Amino acid sequence: MKVIKQTSPYIRKETSTKRMMIDVLIALMPVVLFSIYRFGFDAIIRILVSLVVMIGVEAFAFGLMNKPSKKGTKFEKFKSRYKDYTINNVTAPAVSAIVFSMIVPSTLPIYAIIIGAVVGIGIVKMFFGGLGSNIFNPAAAGRIFIGIALAGMFVYQGIDLAAGATPLSSSLGFSELIGRYPLKDLFFGNIPGSMGEINALAILIGAAYLLIRKAADFRVMLAALGAFAIPMIFAGLALHPDHLIEYVLYHVLSGGLLFGVVFMITDPVTSPVTRPGRWMFGILIGSVVVLIRLFGAYPEGMAFAILLGNIFVPMFDYPKYATNKYSWKSILGMVIAVLLVSVIVFFGLGGSL
Amino acid sequence: MITKTRNIPDGKSELKKLSVIPYVDANYVYYPVTSARCPEGETCVVSGQFVKVGEVIGTRKGAFFEQPMHATVSGEVKGYEKHIDQSGKIVDCLIVENDKKYTLHESAVERTETEIDSLTREDFIEITKEAGLVGLGGSAFPTYIKLSTKDPIKVVLGNGVECEPFLISDHYAMLFKSEELIKGLIYAMKASGAEKGVIAIKKKYKEIYEALMLKLQEFPDYDIKIAKVGNHYPQGWEIETVESALGIKIPQGELLSKYGVLNFNVSTLVSIYNAVKKRLPVLKRYVSVSGNGIQNTVFRVRIGTLMSELVQLAGGYRDEKIPKVLILGGPMMGTSVLRDDIVMTHTTTNLIVMNDEVTKEEPCIHCASCVYSCPVSIQPVQIMNAYKNKDKETVGILEVNKCIECGLCSYVCPSKIHLTEYMRLGKRLIK
Repeated sequence: MKVIKQTSPYIRKETSTKRMMIDVLIALMPVVLFSIYRFGFDAIIRILVSLVVMIGVEAFAFGLMNKPSKKGTKFEKFKSRYKDYTINNVTAPAVSAIVFSMIVPSTLPIYAIIIGAVVGIGIVKMFFGGLGSNIFNPAAAGRIFIGIALAGMFVYQGIDLAAGATPLSSSLGFSELIGRYPLKDLFFGNIPGSMGEINALAILIGAAYLLIRKAADFRVMLAALGAFAIPMIFAGLALHPDHLIEYVLYHVLSGGLLFGVVFMITDPVTSPVTRPGRWMFGILIGSVVVLIRLFGAYPEGMAFAILLGNIFVPMFDYPKYATNKYSWKSILGMVIAVLLVSVIVFFGLGGSL
Repeated sequence: MITKTRNIPDGKSELKKLSVIPYVDANYVYYPVTSARCPEGETCVVSGQFVKVGEVIGTRKGAFFEQPMHATVSGEVKGYEKHIDQSGKIVDCLIVENDKKYTLHESAVERTETEIDSLTREDFIEITKEAGLVGLGGSAFPTYIKLSTKDPIKVVLGNGVECEPFLISDHYAMLFKSEELIKGLIYAMKASGAEKGVIAIKKKYKEIYEALMLKLQEFPDYDIKIAKVGNHYPQGWEIETVESALGIKIPQGELLSKYGVLNFNVSTLVSIYNAVKKRLPVLKRYVSVSGNGIQNTVFRVRIGTLMSELVQLAGGYRDEKIPKVLILGGPMMGTSVLRDDIVMTHTTTNLIVMNDEVTKEEPCIHCASCVYSCPVSIQPVQIMNAYKNKDKETVGILEVNKCIECGLCSYVCPSKIHLTEYMRLGKRLIK
């Protein structure tokens, strides 16, 4: 009998990266199904294109990154490049691909999708070292790239000329806006917008699944939502004190916020690794979304906020002060940060005490 | 999964159902001359000499203490042979042929209750020193050094948590030796001047709780409590046990005695009873063989028996074609050994035989399960990254020396990265 030497521990938990990735794919299903129901063939073709491109680019880059063995026929050499290729090299880009296809409008030309997908996986993920090494969210980065480089192509279906492109970029006053896009429609996705971002219900079902399966960290979600909603309350106080609740709910439900909070910022690869760090990361993203929404004009506010948050991850993880323990200082700092953004928002929008 | 993991399937329910097979009559018994704590040692007997149970047959020498070796059978000394000990090292072992009469040595006379009552603290220290008692939980730290602390002791804690999966020795000791356990605790309280005694057991061990409570009714004069603590891992780590059972928070790296606490494994307490009352060293222990490569069996075994005999008694290995991993100690912190001719020493409680499974490491996805699960609040993933960059300074800043090598970080990793090994490498890097 052969006896093998190992080092402790000798047992492992029944869990895997594969399971986590597949959980995210399952959680994305309600959103995907809704987008297919709403946009039909337009949605299917865009999801498929981004899946094929992202998985293909990852596989191609993976082969280039691994040295072949020196012996054997040409085919064997080629095969040896892929000996470490696992299911994670398919599921991880698949998650990115579906997320990416969900944050673009259904009318976006196919070649714009291809460009975005190639940039997202090729440059943002594989150039940095592939699975686990990327510092930016591939889907968000791909979206930003086409959003800036091909800005003219972003035309949303079902446009209401008077209301502008999407509920968020409308020039109408708030009371007219809420009349045109009631909260119920925002919740059930009966509005123009990016394919996956419009139906809050489908996103919330996915969020519930992610949290039950513990495939995503609730801390980032809560922090980002809180850091978004609290300043929005102050914005409402400054702008529409009589429609406060509708105003806040309107902003939470519209745009890419919910989708980003549930499926994009929870990507563990581009998150900090400590509990306080994850709260701070969420707060940073939520605050930046608020500021872009209220003082900026980009429809990709959420994606910008995510990339900005990703830049700060090494700072949240800096070994000299990053710790997994909560301290009064860190909690106080987070509270002050949220309040500060709230105050800026309140006075920036012309509110007076 | 991105969450704190504390509960591991412990596999004890199957071991608990088994009946104990006595195997105390091995033909030959072996006594390692050295041990992990005592790198030197010498014997004071010669081949052909007749030794009796409890007779001193040699001394092991450690850095700051000496430890006598005792015969656990009576019979003739046969010479030396090389076998491996608890730590997996090959050591010289003295062989004694068992005559199966178990003649007690002249010194092994029972003390009467009045004799015990008149014992002073120094006497207790001397008794435990002469009996060669060590921490039976696995540390093998000499008991007399613990007892001879200068700090005032308020409470003696009997640690019966045994939080590692597949370990069952303390469980049986608490169940079948409850009287000896409680008396041993009382002696330890007398020896240290403590007024309180607490036995910490897992919440789910209802049968032990009942057995101990029943026994405790016979000792109404002493302030002894049973503390039911959590079922999780590493609850048996003394700092966590003390916190859960007594509510005293002790900073890592400080001595428990500074806070008025003495912590003994429950089997150590039983051995204190035997040493004080019967003037005997540790003679027998409960030993289990378990794992998916062998039939689960629990034995009562004499110290000095070879583990390979127990493996034969348990029916040998299953599926000999599959490579096996042999583990002494628990599956989270135990030692992997390459041979099965392991000599039972005081701290040997089990052998785990597992079929070797190849786990392939995948890239880290920063899920932070290791950070969330770490009982000492360090960041294993960051330490691993710093170690890979050979960044000594950062490894030091991340406090890798706090690591108790409990194994949880490797256990929870969804990418199956062996983080615990990186912690050990990190410690070596900054040494």
